[in-house]
Amino acid sequence: MKYFLNRTAQVIPVLLIVSFILFFLVHISGDPVDIMLSENATEEDRETLRQSLGLDKPFIIQYFIFLTNMITGDFGKSIIYGQAALPIVLERIPATFELMLASIILSTAIAIPLGVLSAVKRNSPIDLLISGISILGKAMPNFWVGLMLILLFSVNLKIFPVSGTGSVFHLVLPAITIGSAMAAQMTRLLRSNMLDVLSQDYIRTAKSKGVKRLSIVYIHALRNSLLPVITVIALQISTLVGGALITETIFSWPGLGQLTIEAINARDMAVVQACVITIAVFVIIVNLIADLIYRFVDPRIRY
Amino acid sequence: MNRKSVVFTFTLILLLILSGCTTVGNQSENGKSAADKKEDRELKIGIPNDIKTFDIHNHNQVLTEAVHINMFNYLFKRQADTKVETELVDTYKLIDDVTWEFKLKEGITFHNGDPLTADDVEFTIERVAKDKTLAEHSNMEVVKDVKVVNDTTFQIITDDPQPTLINLLSRIGSGILPKNYIEENGWDHFLNKPVGSGPFKFVDWSRDNRIVFEPYEKYFEGKNEEWDKLVFRVIPETSTRINELLTGGVDIITEVTPNDIARIDENEETKAVSTPSQRVTILALQHREGYPTSDPKVREAIELAINNEVLVEQILKGEAVAVRTRVTPGNFGADPSLYDTYLYDVERSKELLAEAGYGDGLELSLSIPTGYYLKGDEISQAIKAMLSEVGITLNIEFSEYNRYIELRNSGEFGDMYFGAYGNSLFDASIALDMFASENGEKRIGYSNQEVKELFNSALTNMDTEEREKQYQKIQQIVAEERPFIYLYLQNEAYGIREGLNFKPRVDSMLYTPDITRN
Repeated sequence: MKYFLNRTAQVIPVLLIVSFILFFLVHISGDPVDIMLSENATEEDRETLRQSLGLDKPFIIQYFIFLTNMITGDFGKSIIYGQAALPIVLERIPATFELMLASIILSTAIAIPLGVLSAVKRNSPIDLLISGISILGKAMPNFWVGLMLILLFSVNLKIFPVSGTGSVFHLVLPAITIGSAMAAQMTRLLRSNMLDVLSQDYIRTAKSKGVKRLSIVYIHALRNSLLPVITVIALQISTLVGGALITETIFSWPGLGQLTIEAINARDMAVVQACVITIAVFVIIVNLIADLIYRFVDPRIRY
Repeated sequence: MNRKSVVFTFTLILLLILSGCTTVGNQSENGKSAADKKEDRELKIGIPNDIKTFDIHNHNQVLTEAVHINMFNYLFKRQADTKVETELVDTYKLIDDVTWEFKLKEGITFHNGDPLTADDVEFTIERVAKDKTLAEHSNMEVVKDVKVVNDTTFQIITDDPQPTLINLLSRIGSGILPKNYIEENGWDHFLNKPVGSGPFKFVDWSRDNRIVFEPYEKYFEGKNEEWDKLVFRVIPETSTRINELLTGGVDIITEVTPNDIARIDENEETKAVSTPSQRVTILALQHREGYPTSDPKVREAIELAINNEVLVEQILKGEAVAVRTRVTPGNFGADPSLYDTYLYDVERSKELLAEAGYGDGLELSLSIPTGYYLKGDEISQAIKAMLSEVGITLNIEFSEYNRYIELRNSGEFGDMYFGAYGNSLFDASIALDMFASENGEKRIGYSNQEVKELFNSALTNMDTEEREKQYQKIQQIVAEERPFIYLYLQNEAYGIREGLNFKPRVDSMLYTPDITRN
């Protein structure tokens, strides 16, 4: 418990640093006023808008105002939408989660049996086949996989909708697009961990005790090989929360990635900040959960 | 709790969250388009970006307006043939040069049931005319005052005589808002649950996903009987947009690139349609001393070296028209002699460069935002090749759009910048403002006293014939002095499902009451 309180307390300075770096970067990238006003706007119009957005104040003052408001959950108004920034960001969370969870479930469901099989049948044709497929899966770029899946399953076979949200069917192709690369990476990782574990003394002991082969592989070896895989999943979740941009664009998926890029392009400081802080909080939570799962998988781990 | 049940519970929770999440968006698409099924009365339109906002005075994006016009009304309305006719207004008259009196039609109501009165007009027009922070303020600040005479009659008083007032009242920035609804519920409420007076009423907006409307039963021109539902779907990726059209996921898509037209036409159930738009592509040339382009001979040589026809036919596949002005037919003040024409003479271009002292070659720079303008990257590469034939080495400086705007507005873009501009006012004043205002001086250092005088006089000139001549004269001077070298007027292409009647509009509006099924 004490450990988790400690970890939670660490979150605050991390968020402060993240918000400052971000505020500074957006600030030096320039002035949003030019892209907000029409082509024929005069210098006076620009100045008025700058004042009303508080952009005429010194940088540090702007940051301080932002920070004090942020503590109360007020990230300010989005300059694109004219509405409070945080709800705009939060309304993207369901779509982002949906895609993320589906991809992770899919990739885990593929990677665990394939990785185990590959290790157990080391250097057999099956192992070579699985290794080949996973190298291919990792090598194919996301956008290409996405476009090919659309062409095959939506345009030619008409099985799944091309893009958008609304049903489980809409989720299939984007989840495969993200999940295939993840599964490939996890399969490779699991295979090498399994090989390592299978050569350990305790596995030999289990064998000599007459423990069943299946039980050796799935209970003794797999559990001990999963730790690095969990780390990879946790890292992938962190990336996917804000970074599934290409897949989101190809499949018109209204997730956080698209919103973040739009906000950066429009220099919509309030939304950018709300996005990044939301993502940061989420990443910290995922890391905490990953720690919990480590303990569950390997009870030797104590904090 | 044993381990198995922990794993089971964890999996169950994951599945529950997942199934809970699938309620994003609230309707299913069955893959059949409106044109396929007579009884399916849902019109789906695929658009490349989301609308900015429902604050109709605080954006300057054509696509956003194209969606808004289905649920808001203007006092005047631009018809598909570009002529402006009355919409909410029944009759109007000019009392003196600066005072206009309008009478509203009877029986107009907002979607919440409130009647639309002169008070709403006053509230709306005064807001955009007075609030300097609104994106459309600069276009509407000519309005000095709005006076309510009675429930249906009001006067608009302008600073100076305003020949373009009717045009201003038929475009972005002048849609009429419900005063009572906004005052009672506040702006935030309005932006989430907007209320207008147009043929369709708001149902739902899921950002970067879809905007849903349904017909307004009490619309003053009668309920739209053609469609039960109107859905604008945001599909940023061009190939996805086309695939959605091909598979019937949507009925109409916008922003089809010239290369994709053939793919849409090859499919039996879809076709591409296009129309000249209002968007003209230009090269802006630095006039400040110290830049080679400050020499008129260099500017002329650049224009003569560019073969507009090749750009139009080869790169844009014929989906454009070569021009020498931004005021194209259909706009007030157009000069037909500068439309569908271009200058091209490589030999003369070389001579001019030699006369200017650049016989041994010249190095120039061109600023362009990468991936922003239709085929902009390819067009600029082609121009680079054309200029190299006369001895000009063009360095193309690609930048991100925001950076480009900064360079452009501050005048620090180098020798030239590439741009494309629309004109939703359909009047020469917007297109020529650059050459008579501080913007022109600040950006490219262009200043011409005669142009300024002609422009300022035309702005407030109520004599239509004389005003037209003033604008034409400015265009002739600009064509000669070349602060801009005009390249072409872009076509706008759409993809539609067979069985739909849809004619693309010059103003790019997606006015759905005009779209019907066969």
